Amino acid sequence: MLIFAARRLLAAIPTLLVVTLLVFALVRLLPGDPARLQLGEEATPQALTELRHKMGLDRPVAVQYVSWLGDLGQLNLGRSLQDNTTVSSLIAQKLPTTFELALLSLLIAVALALPAGILSALRPGGALDRLVTLLALSGISLPTFFLGILLIYIFSVNLAWIPASGYVGLSENAGLNLKLMLLPAVTLGVGSAAVLTRFLRSSLLEVLNQDYVRTARAKGVAGRLVIVKHALRNALIPVVTVLGLQLGGLLGGAVVTEQIFSVPGFGRLLVDAVFTRDLPVIQGMVLTSAALVFLVSFLVDLAYGAIDPRVRFG
Amino acid sequence: MTRTKFAPPMILGLTLFLSTAAAETLIVGLDADPPRLDPALSTAFVDRQVMNQIFDKLVDVDEKLKVVPMVAKSWKVSNAGLTYTFKLNTGIKFADGTVLDAAAVKYSIERNLTLEGSARKGELASVKEVAAPDAATVVINLKVPYGPLLAVLSDRSGMIVSPTAAKKSGADFANEPVGSGPFSFVSRKRQDNITLKANAVYWRGKPKLDGLVYRPFPDGDVRVANLLSGAVQVITPVDPKDVATIQKNAKLDVTTFQGLGFQGVWMNIGKPPFNNKLVRQAFSASLDRDAINKVVFLGTVKPAAGPFPPGTPAYSAAIRVQAADLAGARKKLAQAGKPSIPFTLLTAPGAVNAQLAQLYQAMAAQVGFNVKIETVEFGALLDRADKRNYDAVMLGWSGRPDPDGNIYEFFHTGGSNNQAGYSVPGIDSLLEKARAQTAMSARVATYNVALGKIVDDSPYAFTYFTSNTVGNAKTVTGLRLVPDGILRFYTVDTK
Repeated sequence: MLIFAARRLLAAIPTLLVVTLLVFALVRLLPGDPARLQLGEEATPQALTELRHKMGLDRPVAVQYVSWLGDLGQLNLGRSLQDNTTVSSLIAQKLPTTFELALLSLLIAVALALPAGILSALRPGGALDRLVTLLALSGISLPTFFLGILLIYIFSVNLAWIPASGYVGLSENAGLNLKLMLLPAVTLGVGSAAVLTRFLRSSLLEVLNQDYVRTARAKGVAGRLVIVKHALRNALIPVVTVLGLQLGGLLGGAVVTEQIFSVPGFGRLLVDAVFTRDLPVIQGMVLTSAALVFLVSFLVDLAYGAIDPRVRFG
Repeated sequence: MTRTKFAPPMILGLTLFLSTAAAETLIVGLDADPPRLDPALSTAFVDRQVMNQIFDKLVDVDEKLKVVPMVAKSWKVSNAGLTYTFKLNTGIKFADGTVLDAAAVKYSIERNLTLEGSARKGELASVKEVAAPDAATVVINLKVPYGPLLAVLSDRSGMIVSPTAAKKSGADFANEPVGSGPFSFVSRKRQDNITLKANAVYWRGKPKLDGLVYRPFPDGDVRVANLLSGAVQVITPVDPKDVATIQKNAKLDVTTFQGLGFQGVWMNIGKPPFNNKLVRQAFSASLDRDAINKVVFLGTVKPAAGPFPPGTPAYSAAIRVQAADLAGARKKLAQAGKPSIPFTLLTAPGAVNAQLAQLYQAMAAQVGFNVKIETVEFGALLDRADKRNYDAVMLGWSGRPDPDGNIYEFFHTGGSNNQAGYSVPGIDSLLEKARAQTAMSARVATYNVALGKIVDDSPYAFTYFTSNTVGNAKTVTGLRLVPDGILRFYTVDTK
């Protein structure tokens, strides 16, 4: 198991190197000059030349890449072109927020998907199954931005239960933090819940038709125990894979949700950085999320091992 | 209201706005997160909303755009417009406790002129030297007479920074700005909030509010939802479609007032089809500017004839809004020998832009243009406009108090906002002449001559003048409506 883990981790290094080259090249392919965009209405030729020099954009691209890579080697992600703060401090400031949002929405997704998936798999084609399917399809097809604004109108504007936006750190005021994070987490979680429900339903249906389930039933094991102990455990393997993928997707989904609820997280920073062509910030963030997605898939691999011993020993 | 002494300012702000009794701290929703709160480095309009509370300026403009005293209590222009002598108010202190005197004014203007990456160098290019003969006198000597100088000093170029703090913070001054304004900077969390507190020793008297929290909401729907839910008490701007929603709410007010900017369409005079003046005139004549105002803006803007909005010093009734003239437009296209002309209209994303583009498309189609709309992200749009890689592009201007700021860089050869590559020697000399004139009546006469030719040449189809819109809780009083669109919170109170 340890060797397996170590090997997977080492394999990440060349992958991340390729990612650095890709992200660097892609960011430079974006049309628009960061200096021009930053100066906006004030872009006189003299100001442009000066700002490009200050940003180091007047150096050859290869030199810029090598110098960035050199900085990366020293764990230095550079400084924001917008306000001169270090990229690492920006990421450190935003990532916990988005991480909390992703975890909360994942919790909501699992809390919704587990019972819904099981219930609809128990009587496929039944009224309950049809209702769950309808809700799940609605959940998948509802765009995040629409659901988010809908929730704001219902719960903040009409009912005035929850503030429409705002953010307080978890460590500063946990109660307020959870209250403020609820709507964004639900917005983000509903789509995942829908996908997970569908996966769990089909996976569970398949497992329930397997011989060993029939055997367990024939042996007189109680219905609930068959589902929870025999069927669910095996049905969860594909669901965990999807869950891992969803977590990566949640980071992406957070981009829209954070924008709607004004949550100052990773996604919002990234959107802002792209629109203002804050190259060091985009590069640092994409690299960080690549590393994170890798980490998640690594953890998913480890989770397989925990659920299915054949993976561990195979 | 009781306060916890140890609460970080951000919690304080949020707790205040989450409780209904948030009387003394006002939460303001803006459409973007102000990127750089440094008068020299600032390039975004939204920066000015916050910096105007933190910094005092040498002079200010009032509701009629008249230049009025601020740090300078009086001034004198001499030496044929080459010397400006300012007498300063005394007893002004920066938030860090240091004194604002003539040396600090000299330092601030020189910082704007010399700091690497300063965006103020262009508008201060006429300045030869700044002198501080005594603690209460500042003398600015110019290389050439420059009429717009006072108006320029009523904006970022005239903001006085604390020299001590600026030297200490260096490149980080934008993240810890120190001025002498009615509010002082407490903290900022990027994309979340900027928190200011009242300057208790403000030289014009303590402001009525205890604090201000600015929060960015880029999406108009989200901005208005936050106002409706009471999470913020003031928002600016308000999308035209939301004006009626706010009006219907008994607890809220919405105000629309004349801005300084204009919007329209550049036509690329360097390549077909718009290298032909008749084709440009035909497109401009196909636009029904009243209909645009009614359909897209629900009557909240004014149709534009030129670059100077009504109510601003250089506005002249002699420059008339062009009425839609479909027959005339078709005739011009026939004269040009091109009864049907395809072209691509470049625009940036956004609901208003999309509506405008479709309206232009439909209007131009009536006279024989076949318009294809291409939507690209704003950075890409600027890039293509600068490289003149377009047929027609929708680009406007936020406006400046002095008319020079609304015309010179647009229609002067090589101007930084001259995206059409318009170059007419006669126009260049007229714009230079107006810049050197000090009497507004003389300048307006010069501008009118230039505008007659510019409108006839039609490198740019002016369509409408932008409005400022503010939505606020009715409990908020004392908001002054200055056409520059900047909300000055010094006089604001909550009931």
